[in-house]
Amino acid sequence: MSPKLIQVAALIAAVCATGWVHARLPNETRTDRGEAFVPAPHVIEAASLGFDAILADYYWLQAVQVAGVNDVIDADTASHLGKLVDVVTTLNPYVDHPYRFAAVWMTHSEEQVRDANLLLERAIEFHPEDWRNYFYLGFNQFYYLGDFEAAASALEGAVKNEGSPAYLPRLLARLKSQKGDIDVAEIFLRQLLVSTDDESEIAKIEGALDEIEIEHKARHLDRAREAYQQLTGYDILSVGDLIRGKHRVLQKLPSPEPDSMPASLRRGSVWELDREGRIVSTYLGARYEVHYSGIESAVFKPDEQSERQTKGPRGQEDEPRDG
Amino acid sequence: MNSLSRIYALANNTFREAIRNKLLYMLLGFSVVMISSGVVLATLSYVEVHEILQDMGLAAIRFFSVGIAIFVGIGLIHNEVDRRTIFTILSKPVSRNEFLVGKWAGLTFTVWLLLALMAGAFAIVSLLAGAPLGLDHLVAIVLIGLELMVVVAIATFFSSFTTPMLAALFSVGLWMIGHLSRDLHALGQQSEVGTVTTMANFVFLLMPDFEVFNKTLEAVHGLPIDSGEIGLAFVYAVGYTVCTLILGAMIFSRRDFK
Repeated sequence: MSPKLIQVAALIAAVCATGWVHARLPNETRTDRGEAFVPAPHVIEAASLGFDAILADYYWLQAVQVAGVNDVIDADTASHLGKLVDVVTTLNPYVDHPYRFAAVWMTHSEEQVRDANLLLERAIEFHPEDWRNYFYLGFNQFYYLGDFEAAASALEGAVKNEGSPAYLPRLLARLKSQKGDIDVAEIFLRQLLVSTDDESEIAKIEGALDEIEIEHKARHLDRAREAYQQLTGYDILSVGDLIRGKHRVLQKLPSPEPDSMPASLRRGSVWELDREGRIVSTYLGARYEVHYSGIESAVFKPDEQSERQTKGPRGQEDEPRDG
Repeated sequence: MNSLSRIYALANNTFREAIRNKLLYMLLGFSVVMISSGVVLATLSYVEVHEILQDMGLAAIRFFSVGIAIFVGIGLIHNEVDRRTIFTILSKPVSRNEFLVGKWAGLTFTVWLLLALMAGAFAIVSLLAGAPLGLDHLVAIVLIGLELMVVVAIATFFSSFTTPMLAALFSVGLWMIGHLSRDLHALGQQSEVGTVTTMANFVFLLMPDFEVFNKTLEAVHGLPIDSGEIGLAFVYAVGYTVCTLILGAMIFSRRDFK
């Protein structure tokens, strides 16, 4: 056999062996393995050697991947996203969207919301002309933390900036009058809804709006219950009493599920009295409260809420628009 | 023939020699591939697409042009000594100082030419991708050019008295320190020990500050770049280069080639 033939045979053998081994090498990413290590922002900033911008992009793409591969953004994933965006915005504070991207997901605990607020405050520092960062901050302060004063202060910043929606001053006035009711929450949520094309964000907001709709219905039933008590002198034994018997106060009960829910997706939820005697829909299992208020009794359960949200594919454009 | 003409002749010769180096073309090719790959990388994100594309392009330009400046610069003097051609050159009415400056000027011109080619590739890729291009991008690239001028001076300085391997290590080390010097300075300022603060100040002034040439974020995000800052960066680059070349010339003039 000639040396040239031996060389060719050796080359083919080496290529085949390498290809065989390569095909069997584990190709899962760190994210697939559940590794969530993110270096401290200032360490990576010092080690960037002038390549801050491209490193920021690298960590941003990691954040997009983390959000993309997880069907449900649980508390740990949201925390991981927050750390990634913290690195991104430390390396390149002039990025725009990542601040609000993190703020949307970091809602699983009061601590997370406060971390998200720190990111939004950094966004405001570097983009003082963008009303959306003030709006998101105001939303977090109102919706999750129940701090109307801080929310109003943030919205004042939004109102001063060009492009903010025309109704913001009215919302601001309501906040200033301390009317932290679900109507204000609904206004905030509807603005967020019109200002995004991101399907996963839309699903999350629509979930919250569904809860508000059910709360409106529950409050309607509360009023009917009061009328029943005044009429009969005693309380209802079940929610059905409101539409039964000679003392009925309602023709029929409202649907315990969101009206927009297609019949095929309905779960057969019912109205019932909970342990404390409050009227609740089994769809939510609890009455709706708009914020944590920093107390354990707060019933807003973000983990349950997020589990109900199945994420759809991410849209091409996620920029909030002027509502 | 005056001194400037002799430096020009040496620079011209160094340039012609450098462009025959295949390593240059390989690095240039890689840089163009990297600049173009920004298009693919940017598609992984659904926002900030143009910013990612241009961050990638400017990072590739900086990385490869600094690589070329260092890895060609470190062999500048050594190759002449190794091939004994330095004796032929220095036997002519050419001083060692002129030789060193000519070598530096030739390589600086070479890396600037390569920088211009990479900038051209960056502009084409940006335009094809629809990313905005402005004066800020030009300023950022000019500032990279100033950084390269200093890096070539540093590589020439080390090349004047040590082996290419050590010159590479020293040059890369100094370039890294140049990007860390602001952090080291800030760290020193936080110390409660006065000596540490003074030392940190001294080291900061002694070491190059390459962050002054880094305006990537400003260019990509369309942020204003202070013209005074550009002027200071220019003066700083010229000053640091002159200091480094004078030091290099002082060492080189005492060097024994036997």
